[in-house]
Amino acid sequence: MIRGIVLHSNDNVATLIDTGEAGGSCKLQGEKAGQVKLAAALPFGHKVAIAAIKKGGPVIKYGQVIGNVTADVAIGEHVHVHNVESQRGRGDRAKKE
Amino acid sequence: MSFLGYQRSDGSAGIRNWVGVMSVMDNCNPVTRAICDAVAGTIPITTLFVRGQYGKDLKISYDTLGGMGRNANLHAVIVVGLERTSTEEVAGRIRNSGKPVETIIIQDLGSTVTATAEGMRKAAKLAIAASHERRIALPESLLTIGVECGGSDTTSGLAGNPCVGRVADRIIDLGGRIIISETAEFLGAEDLFAARAIDAGVKKAFLDRVRGHEAEAMKQGVDIRGANPVPDNIRGGLTTIEEKALGAMIKAGTRPLVGVLDYSEAPSRAGLHFMATPAPAVESMTGLAAGGCQMIMFATGVGNTIGNMVSPTIKVTGNTNTARTFTDNVDFDVSDVLEKGKTITELGDRLYEFVIGVASGSLTTSEVLGQRETAISRFGPTI
Repeated sequence: MIRGIVLHSNDNVATLIDTGEAGGSCKLQGEKAGQVKLAAALPFGHKVAIAAIKKGGPVIKYGQVIGNVTADVAIGEHVHVHNVESQRGRGDRAKKE
Repeated sequence: MSFLGYQRSDGSAGIRNWVGVMSVMDNCNPVTRAICDAVAGTIPITTLFVRGQYGKDLKISYDTLGGMGRNANLHAVIVVGLERTSTEEVAGRIRNSGKPVETIIIQDLGSTVTATAEGMRKAAKLAIAASHERRIALPESLLTIGVECGGSDTTSGLAGNPCVGRVADRIIDLGGRIIISETAEFLGAEDLFAARAIDAGVKKAFLDRVRGHEAEAMKQGVDIRGANPVPDNIRGGLTTIEEKALGAMIKAGTRPLVGVLDYSEAPSRAGLHFMATPAPAVESMTGLAAGGCQMIMFATGVGNTIGNMVSPTIKVTGNTNTARTFTDNVDFDVSDVLEKGKTITELGDRLYEFVIGVASGSLTTSEVLGQRETAISRFGPTI
């Protein structure tokens, strides 16, 4: 079984607590129940979308925004550095400029 | 609900009833330990340096020793010093709590043998007096609890810290105080926590501490922010610095931030506080104990075993392997969040019951095994 934990009822991602293979069914536990079909293989500890997220929309974990997606993300897709941009503290923005 | 604690004359509540034997400086530690070895019911609160410290650095050492001495878990304190002036600096800071304070001044007593004998005599009397105190039912609003994490891994952010956070919320809702520390953990995502501040003053105070800490590190030529999350965090599934910081912050629950404290400073109101401390656990917990925490909840992933001397430390893990291999040093296992699909609410509520048990006298592994240490932060060189 592939399990994913949801940490807050408003979250749109689950964190895998098993290794997930492509096409595998991920059973949700924690603050939300249900299942999502994994679009790709996912290592332990990585996040899967449990709701569709429009380009620019927030990634929500712990009920809080942990970044914004840089492309449309469908349910079951991997949510990670390849499609998420950090909304970092002011200090970091200043450094970029 | 309530817990069974010791009511102190200043209105505070102890969850333990020890006689503290406290060194004013490092050269007194052997006498402090000798007294504690000889007298039941005492705990040694040793320290390093102090002699040769000056300015802000010395003041923080005295304030921290004084704060630990005032901690409600101590029924009485024997202050062991080399000479009168520094001994009085520490003893004077404890006397205002109203608890019995005795001093042992090694130079006045002539030798470590006479100092130890005199200390034993005083400690024995105080230990017997302490034993006449009785636990009574007291409200949770009298609890001040520190929240820490160390040896963190993936399970910390998913199970250990969220369960601790659930307890933090419940304690705050009952009128108690929670203190989160470790300034460096907020770096890069400080705005997320600052957003929880109750007003602009608290928000600014918090951001000033975090940015000041960063500036201090920069002065040393170190960039502690660097690329965060680091590559092994990313490999582990952490995507952004916000996510990493939230995993640590969640141990402070979800309630508003009402106050910002300097190292060893005690909160003056109910609710969630932040204390500016370095990240290493022993130093950070020493600040928390001096700030009046009667207890510390400490979430660990791969296994961090140390506790505080004055403030009983509850080791919580969400990692099933750690719960098994560190069974001697783990107080509460929340790995069923991941292993059996239990909710954070359910296990957090069980942890809450356990916390009330410890507040009422149940012992922690670090107390029983003597895995307790003290270290006061340094803010300058010795001369």
